[in-house]
Amino acid sequence: MNPDLAHFAARLRGRLAGSSDAISASQFSALALELFALQFRSNAAYRKICEARGRTPSVVEQWTQIPAVPAAAFKELDLTSLAPGERTAVFHSSGTTGQKPGRHFHSADSLAVYEASLWSWFAQNFSGDSISPIQNSKLVVLTPPPAQVPHSSLVHMFETFRQKLGAPASAFVGRLENEGVWALDFAAALNALSPRASSSSSPSLLLLGTAFSFVHLLDHLVAQDLRLPLPAGSRVMETGGYKNRSRSLPKPDLHALISERLVVPPGNIFCEYGMSELSSQAYDTDIQPPASGLRSRVFRFPPWARVQIVSPETGREVGGGGTGLIRILDLANVFSVAAVQTEDLGLRCGDGFELLGRASAAEPRGCSLMSA
Amino acid sequence: MNLPDYFLADLPPSAELSPVMISAACDTLKRNREKYLLPRSTGEIVNILCAVAADWLRPENQFRRLALELGPAETKFSRPVLERGLDDFFRRFTPEQFHALLQAELGHPERLDRFVDGTVARGPAFLVHVAAGNLPDPALMSLTLGLLTRSAQFMKCASGAALLPRLFAHSLYAADPKLGTCLELAVWGGGNADLETALFAAADCVTVTGADKTLAAVQSRLPARVRFLGYGQRVSFGLVTREALREESVAEVVSRAADDVVAWDQNGCLSPHVFYVEERGAVESDQFAARLAAELMQRERTAPRGDILLSAAADIASRRALYETLAPHRGDVKLWASPDSTAWTVVFEHEVRFQFSCLNRFIYVKPVPDLAAVLRGVDGVCGKVSTVGIAAPPERMQELARQFAHWGATRICPLGRMQNPPLTWRHDGRPALGDLVTWTGCEA
Repeated sequence: MNPDLAHFAARLRGRLAGSSDAISASQFSALALELFALQFRSNAAYRKICEARGRTPSVVEQWTQIPAVPAAAFKELDLTSLAPGERTAVFHSSGTTGQKPGRHFHSADSLAVYEASLWSWFAQNFSGDSISPIQNSKLVVLTPPPAQVPHSSLVHMFETFRQKLGAPASAFVGRLENEGVWALDFAAALNALSPRASSSSSPSLLLLGTAFSFVHLLDHLVAQDLRLPLPAGSRVMETGGYKNRSRSLPKPDLHALISERLVVPPGNIFCEYGMSELSSQAYDTDIQPPASGLRSRVFRFPPWARVQIVSPETGREVGGGGTGLIRILDLANVFSVAAVQTEDLGLRCGDGFELLGRASAAEPRGCSLMSA
Repeated sequence: MNLPDYFLADLPPSAELSPVMISAACDTLKRNREKYLLPRSTGEIVNILCAVAADWLRPENQFRRLALELGPAETKFSRPVLERGLDDFFRRFTPEQFHALLQAELGHPERLDRFVDGTVARGPAFLVHVAAGNLPDPALMSLTLGLLTRSAQFMKCASGAALLPRLFAHSLYAADPKLGTCLELAVWGGGNADLETALFAAADCVTVTGADKTLAAVQSRLPARVRFLGYGQRVSFGLVTREALREESVAEVVSRAADDVVAWDQNGCLSPHVFYVEERGAVESDQFAARLAAELMQRERTAPRGDILLSAAADIASRRALYETLAPHRGDVKLWASPDSTAWTVVFEHEVRFQFSCLNRFIYVKPVPDLAAVLRGVDGVCGKVSTVGIAAPPERMQELARQFAHWGATRICPLGRMQNPPLTWRHDGRPALGDLVTWTGCEA
């Protein structure tokens, strides 16, 4: 274990527990440069990349100059400062079947940072000044439990929520089927969500899941001609794409269906943006007021993870309101690589961003096949 | 654009089409065909086509001028790329080439006019085309073949891709208005069931060019009596032999390779994704890649790539970032890329497996020890390959052609001509004209 990184991790964890303004812009920059120097020293694969680009700690002066690695490189390289023996956990990216998954290695120390980061930002976003503190909510998670999917960073996050909220293990109503398919235990899901189980005096629900797990649930409710009004104050959070695991719905359609079948007002349906290569997540909880009928959903990372929107043409950061590829510097990625370049397109909105889609999902122009 | 409203595609975008309009247009086309098209001879049609094409090749031709003025904004190809593509296309229209096409596919140039040796062929009375949106050649060729078969034709153009088919149709109309009344073009987003049901109900034959899922969707909705001709997704690649990599010839080979990448900005089924380059030539394979990069940089000045969607640029940027990251870890990966833009990219890697390019002038160069390695590398796309462009001396060309034909490629051509097939090209290995016709034999 690299003692300097462990020390950095411990300090960061202390800060993450604080309030949302625990890290100022100048502190962020100083921490990012410090972490870059540590990762350059201890992460051999990353060091090679930095040297090839001529961007070493001796020449990098601002956090925006720190070399970002493409998220896809986690499939090909061991982007970690952890020695093989220290890698007690690994999270895989959810790719297409048959493809090598990305691998984000963790140790007890790095999981502790991950958990501190994910819980702190989730709690701030979902309880803040809410009239229904999440601690009083009943948790229902539409994914398999962690024991069935140990390489899912998302389920690890949900499990951390469950432990923090003191919810029972039965909160997970999904299960793993043959060939790694994530499915719902409909009986368990309906039981957890049914009005019978949550009468008028029942606590509000906190319902979490992937977009495709919601489609599985909603298609089932439609097929059974069921509506399950959730108790007042219930909140829904969905995340991720469909990855051919269900029919895919545009987000507004998915949210409309959730509203219709679970009777949750649109303002209580939220999205998360995250990936296995990161240790922090963005939420769109601060929903903008409707303008011209279109509601923009602005995602925000916590103060310890900052976003740049980078022009695919020039590689440089775009100005205010510009569109480009989302790049994140996540201080909580202590033992891997802090600066990660995604393939997602975003639109800069103040201190947050709107998600526009994924580069590789682009329709091919014409009849040539695209990447298989 | 000061073109008269001859076709539905000429109406302003606000004009809404209805199934009744489509059916009425189909009825008119059928009547016009009976009156104006059916009585023509093949020779007359060929003469008109050749005259129209010769006109398109003249700089002052109004349709050409409109194509080059409006094309860059509408089609997203730069003017020089459009100019080269249109010139290559219309130069194929010669009486000799049409004669060769008719001879090859129908056995006789007058087979569509009369019984020859006891057989006569006729085209579908009503021919529908569902055209792709990537580049104009297939759409223009479809209309051309339908004129040869004297079919009434209705072309549904892809959204945003109607300009060049429209201009071609207008040029035919200008040359011969009666013939022009046997054509109809319209634009709508694919899958509009109401309009397409009305259209397909009138059809005797439907050709579809585009994504495999588009083909499947259209085919599933056709009445059983309608003939279906689908031209789906194909990929192409090139092979540069070591004999072609001599110091005195390499500049020419590199220039031809660049021609194939630059043509239609690499957006067609005939555009190369990968160049396989044989090792142990006088010029090494990585040197070939470096020279190709330099040539593409030069071409960007003379024939720039068109504007591309943000998502397409993001594909290129993401792919580049990955190779840039892997290069220091693998001695066998090199990347050349246009600075400050996504205009062109060359990736050199030893992995022989065929790699789909993200196109828009993004090309892989892969060194191989021999042909066997190429055939191993392309195994995954067997049956989906259209064209293999080859740079080789004549004696090796024949042998390579034999082996690629045996493997399943449907077209083998010299490097530099990948996007420029002759009029007699068998689209995806099928006789495009021959597939349209129905024969009558007379044994008396």
